[in-house]
Amino acid sequence: MSGTLEALREIFGSRVSASLAERYCYASDASQEQGMPDYVVRPENVQEVSRLLKFCSEHQIPVTPRGAGTGLAGGASPVHGGVVLDMSGMCKIVEIDIVNLQVIVQPGVVADRLNSALRPHGFFFPPDPGSSAMCTIGGMISNNSSGMRSVKYGTTKNYLLDLEVVLADGRIIRTGSKVLKSSAGYDLTRLFAGAEGTLGVITEAGLKIAPLPRSRKLVLTCFPDAETAGRAVISVFSAGITPSACEILDRLTCRVLKSCDPNIAVPDDGDVILFEVDGPQNSTEEEALQIAEICRPQSLSVRVADSRKEMDEIWAARKLVGAAISRLDPTKTRIYMGEDVGVPISRIPSLIKKVQQISAKLDIPAMKFGHIGDGNLHVALFIDVMDEVQWCKLRLAVDRIHRAALDLGGTVSSEHGIGLARAEYLPEQLGEETLQVMRSIKKAIDPANILNPGKLGL
Amino acid sequence: MGMKLDLRSINRCVRCGTCRSVCPVFEESGWESANTRGRILVMKGLANGLEADKEVQDSLNTCTTCGICTEKCPAGINPPQMVEEARRELAASGIMTAEQSDLSRRIYGSGNTFGERTRRLAWLSDRSRLESKSDYVYFVGCMNSYRYTETAMNSFALLSKFGVTMLPDEQCCGSPLLRTGFSAARLVDANVRQMKQIGARTIITGCAGCYTTLKNSYPADIRVQSIPEFLAEHISELDIKPLPIKVTYHDPCHLGRHNRIFEQPRRVIEAVCGLLEMKAARENARCCGGGGGVRSGYPDLSLRMAKRRLLDVPEGVDYIVTSCPLCIRNLRDAGAGEKVIDLVDLVARATSLPK
Repeated sequence: MSGTLEALREIFGSRVSASLAERYCYASDASQEQGMPDYVVRPENVQEVSRLLKFCSEHQIPVTPRGAGTGLAGGASPVHGGVVLDMSGMCKIVEIDIVNLQVIVQPGVVADRLNSALRPHGFFFPPDPGSSAMCTIGGMISNNSSGMRSVKYGTTKNYLLDLEVVLADGRIIRTGSKVLKSSAGYDLTRLFAGAEGTLGVITEAGLKIAPLPRSRKLVLTCFPDAETAGRAVISVFSAGITPSACEILDRLTCRVLKSCDPNIAVPDDGDVILFEVDGPQNSTEEEALQIAEICRPQSLSVRVADSRKEMDEIWAARKLVGAAISRLDPTKTRIYMGEDVGVPISRIPSLIKKVQQISAKLDIPAMKFGHIGDGNLHVALFIDVMDEVQWCKLRLAVDRIHRAALDLGGTVSSEHGIGLARAEYLPEQLGEETLQVMRSIKKAIDPANILNPGKLGL
Repeated sequence: MGMKLDLRSINRCVRCGTCRSVCPVFEESGWESANTRGRILVMKGLANGLEADKEVQDSLNTCTTCGICTEKCPAGINPPQMVEEARRELAASGIMTAEQSDLSRRIYGSGNTFGERTRRLAWLSDRSRLESKSDYVYFVGCMNSYRYTETAMNSFALLSKFGVTMLPDEQCCGSPLLRTGFSAARLVDANVRQMKQIGARTIITGCAGCYTTLKNSYPADIRVQSIPEFLAEHISELDIKPLPIKVTYHDPCHLGRHNRIFEQPRRVIEAVCGLLEMKAARENARCCGGGGGVRSGYPDLSLRMAKRRLLDVPEGVDYIVTSCPLCIRNLRDAGAGEKVIDLVDLVARATSLPK
């Protein structure tokens, strides 16, 4: 392989590493999937990516693109070895084009950084994963990420106008333009979204942006059980209100939230729903009151948070609650498996009930929180990772949770991706023939199968 | 056979990458092994038998132990402690860089971090001003003893008014050794013995590195105070004549984040002149790159971090004030020069001190 290292040095200079320490650090993302790469490279421009892919195609070397490595399904784990392509150094905001309601960015731009740059212009890029402080736009596109506000604003896919993509053989293509809508041919832009780097490497993206809402209001409601909470959510939608976030937190989640920040005034005696509405001041005030009225008869408590500071604190804590369990019990670690199932929204209470049963039966505690407004439930399982028996139980629980979601007509991943961790469920979720179509597409674009091999059940 | 490390803490890391967004070393390097998540993976590797080659050592040794990752970690772990533990384990097995072994030899041989052979109190013109008995001792530290002697003079002039004395044969507090994996027992013993002879129960220091070491690695019955705390406590007795200038304050990591001393230096500054905050301040302050052995082991990296820290300085300030000679050296060397001053030197300008 010494010839390979020289070829990589030729392209990347000092931005290539074959050191054991570096390879070890790039062997996994935030999931449990691992694979040791042979090399790590950090490109600075599209030509370097193109030269790399041409070389790797010719020599049949696997290439695994990676953003910030915050993925939860092994999408960035190089399970077949080869080269990890760390795109986080391509992090320029190329153009902020307010008059055309868009930005052009390199894939390594971090979501929060983009939003800091847009804020002075009064705009924002709405998809808001919990990892927005560190995840990259490239990773968000490749996993079709979203977050708490997708109930109103949709997912990353809804904001893509144009991508620059390097194909497996090194060709560079563009999939769109600056127009806000286009009806010209196959929608290749959205084909690359959610493809987890199996079809090409994204080197630039044109993104639609949205005006920042002038105000937000947060309504904290608490219900005796998830079914009642679920009914209240349907009633809110039926009243013609589209909340900008609609989150469910179970008792345990609220306790963990409070352990992180004792000042956070979240009830912990039932299932909490956080409704957020955004828009002009008078409409958010009216909608917040309306939500409170709708929920009051069935709820244990209802409160409208009035200060910006309190809202920010609650959302900040909610964003990071997943990893916070070990603050409550240092012997326990959150394991990101079975964490991203989704079902039609009417089925959320049934899913919560099933997860409760699975967790009780296997004696694996679970925090349950998520985007009840779009049917996405995040199950946080936590175990003592030094206990093999708990690992076995955890794997069983994960399998049952995935199957429960599929039984309810759902998906094994709503916003984190399939990677390797959930690949085995794709035949059941999509059907064998649908998967065959995906395989045909993959083969047509990447015949040597060098791009992120081993992922998506292909 | 792997190295014995704190697996409990290592396993609590879920690799969410929050630390990646704040690690000042990673900001310069860009390699995953140079951020906290990477370092914890490397530690996990060591526990599983990964060979501690040069790159592994670089990963661990480039941490400035600034603690901003501790501040942000949702899982609540304390990476600087873990890094120091791993460095200790490596050093105990004889695995260290040439810079590490030079540093330890220098300190063990001379009692100071520079290997200086001259007297530590050479800056003191009149040794008869040293009281042989006192409740309070001013701990000068290596940097101010040998490099910033004017700050040492000003500090002693301010403190001696309150009956504070000094150790006749002060030794390095041990911080550089402890931060890079070595034992400092001999130095600690020598300093503690002199404290007892003087009868002092409180030790006051103007160095953030010394402060955190005295506080955490010395006997618990010694009361440790930083100069900013002492000055804030005695502000009304200092006879300050306000100065018509504006300054900013750089929070030294080992005073601020590690020991939560945020308010006192600001109170003192505001008694002297106007204060404008840096872009990242208090618990979010960006590290100057000078700590954790990074300045001596990786000077280029260290200076790049200091340069970036200078970008946080607000416009229109006359001075960048701080309370750590390591920060002063790094920020000065990164281009800010004499614009960076110690809090004590600011106060000295606003008071009439006996020389």
